[in-house]
Amino acid sequence: MAEKAGVKSDSIFSRSLSRRDALRAGLVGAAAVSAGAIFEACTIFPKSPSGSSKKIVIGTFQDNAMVPFRDVFVKRFQNETGIQVQYNETNYDAWYQNSKNDGLHKTGAYDIYVLDDNWVPEFAAGGVIQSLDKLGFKANPDILANGLNQGYWPPKSGAKMKAFAGKTPELYAIVIIDDVEILYYNKQYFDTAPKTWDDIARIAAAKTKPGSLYGWSARGVKGNPIMQTYLPLLNAYGGNFVNDDWSPGFAGPEGVGALERLLSFIPYMPSGVAEFDTDQEVQALLQGKCMALTEYTGLSHQVDDPSASKVVGQIDMAATPSQVKSGPAIGTFICGIASGAPNPDGAKQFLDWFTSSPIQIDFAKTGSAAVTSTALKDPAIGAQYRWLPAIADAVNNSVAKPRSPDEPKMEDILGTRLNEALVQALSQKSGYHAIATQKLNQAAGEITAYLKQQGGYF
Amino acid sequence: MVAAGATRPLPWSRRISRAAGSYGLLLPAALVLALVSVYPLVYGIIASLRHYLYGGDHGFAGAANYLYVIQDQTFITALSTTARYVLLCVIIETALGLALALLVNRQLAGASLWRIGIILPMTVAPVVVGVMWRLIYASDIGVADPLLNALGVHGVHVLGSETTAFLGVVLLDVWEWTPLMFLILLAGLQGIPQEPLEAAVMDGASGLRVFFDHVLPMLRPVLFVAIVLRSIDAIGTFDQIYVLTRGGPGVSTQLFSIYAYNSAFLFSQFGRAMAMVVILLAGVLVLAAIAIRLVRSGPGTR
Repeated sequence: MAEKAGVKSDSIFSRSLSRRDALRAGLVGAAAVSAGAIFEACTIFPKSPSGSSKKIVIGTFQDNAMVPFRDVFVKRFQNETGIQVQYNETNYDAWYQNSKNDGLHKTGAYDIYVLDDNWVPEFAAGGVIQSLDKLGFKANPDILANGLNQGYWPPKSGAKMKAFAGKTPELYAIVIIDDVEILYYNKQYFDTAPKTWDDIARIAAAKTKPGSLYGWSARGVKGNPIMQTYLPLLNAYGGNFVNDDWSPGFAGPEGVGALERLLSFIPYMPSGVAEFDTDQEVQALLQGKCMALTEYTGLSHQVDDPSASKVVGQIDMAATPSQVKSGPAIGTFICGIASGAPNPDGAKQFLDWFTSSPIQIDFAKTGSAAVTSTALKDPAIGAQYRWLPAIADAVNNSVAKPRSPDEPKMEDILGTRLNEALVQALSQKSGYHAIATQKLNQAAGEITAYLKQQGGYF
Repeated sequence: MVAAGATRPLPWSRRISRAAGSYGLLLPAALVLALVSVYPLVYGIIASLRHYLYGGDHGFAGAANYLYVIQDQTFITALSTTARYVLLCVIIETALGLALALLVNRQLAGASLWRIGIILPMTVAPVVVGVMWRLIYASDIGVADPLLNALGVHGVHVLGSETTAFLGVVLLDVWEWTPLMFLILLAGLQGIPQEPLEAAVMDGASGLRVFFDHVLPMLRPVLFVAIVLRSIDAIGTFDQIYVLTRGGPGVSTQLFSIYAYNSAFLFSQFGRAMAMVVILLAGVLVLAAIAIRLVRSGPGTR
């Protein structure tokens, strides 16, 4: 038998191929390759659909703040309900595209998208996610209002695009992590939490030792990073990114004053601050070279980690400083149900479960930025994780970014001019008012021109 | 009467069958090429004529995206930055690559080690290169600032001002891609026949005269190909600069590719982004055609 098989095999491999054979093989191969590619492109065969009512698929971007959610609570939900959860994560930029494409084409690959809150306008207006109101979802009334409001489209307050101005706001996404900017300050240099930007400036001026200790650190890179530095200042000085009629609200005395204040910190900031992104800004604080900064809540987990911080136990947190008011930027992690979700009921059940008060209490016990008032203000949990009361305070005072799909472009324009202002001021070391006025007016003009050209705003 | 040795014409059926066979053999490759190359290109051109809003396709836009793009000052600035970047990078890389190729071609001791050492940078992934140079340039922990201080240049942060940041990304590109020019030009040098060079030396020509009168003309086709390839590649530079500067400070290092990427994936303006790409593609094709014409008309090709 073996010998026979060997003979047969030899005959196949030894005989020469005719042109007809080669052509036939080539065509079969090409057809197979082409069919595979076409089927892949057209998604005729959907990939790992979560068709079973006993399964939901959650898609998200990677972030350290999501670790307890993923490792503890997703598993706990599975154990408690018997509903299997498939958890897929990728990087931020890729997930923005993947989730958007998935929702636009209703492929049914996901039930829940974890989103950055500023994606909500585009995803809701574009039909990428479903209205939770229409699905019968009832938000927990214990959820902090400013966090909850990030999930409404059209927005409940602030500037509204014309096409959506008359429509009743509906809840499209539900907040799961209240990420917000808070003030981190080193208690070694501040007797109490600084209340105003003037307090910061005063201590910075008195205690800065150039080269070894700085009063302030910031993100200075163009675009989104420097915007995160500027927004708490702008809001604190009484300015707005945009007013309710979409006119830029940062080029007046408030916005100029806020930028002048930032530029006035130049002698008290590391000289390379214009190139600083989160990593460098945070390192200055954790290495004990900087007295204070504003940053999102993710940093809380690092300040007491001896492997990451040289100032364990020395950093405290508070709401961002005020001038006429405190106005931290808010940037929540928020969940929407995919327009093509195979199991919307299971998805709704998960969101209802995770945002319930008892689960949020347990979530806060991991040190995470829970979304309910009772969890963030629980005295026992607050004593263990001292940043949680500061987060509650900050969320209550927070100011949302403009709710528009064009917000990233507006942020890019202003963020570029802010960076230019910082670079110029670092070089000149004077004339801050003129620099601030010129760059902010330039950004205001560009944003207005852009919005006019886009239509739907004025 | 048929002459001896003359071949009898094939019957029509055989001719058709033979032709079909030849084209049939080409079909798999043509199909794959159409799927992976032509289809995205055609799709991109179609997308440049569509109006996208909130990620959705809202119909035919005519030339609106092109009109917007050619009036967009940021796009014009990005094109100008890209042109300066490509010009500077390619000139420096060509000069350095040629110098290194001439050096290694002189039967240096340990030539293979030199070759390996020189080509190492181009084997590193562009994103990794970006991260690496970000650490080098970082004003807090980098080595660039102390080095500049040691050279007597104080208070300069490479990524902290527009001019130095631009020069910084050019230096990165030169570090990464000079090896490619070196490799191509070394191959070109090794393909040059030695007899004319030896004859020139015998006639008393100096090294410089041999290089300019003989080596360079014979190397010209390879040189043009290398320059064209590198230019096209440099126009599409993205990863390392995005990681290093995100196009800043201001818009000083915002190349066309970064602006197109932001337009598509950050601002969700797919139609405009594709219009930018198509405009640039047209420009690159014109450049490539000019370069090919130059190569074909060169004396080295005759």
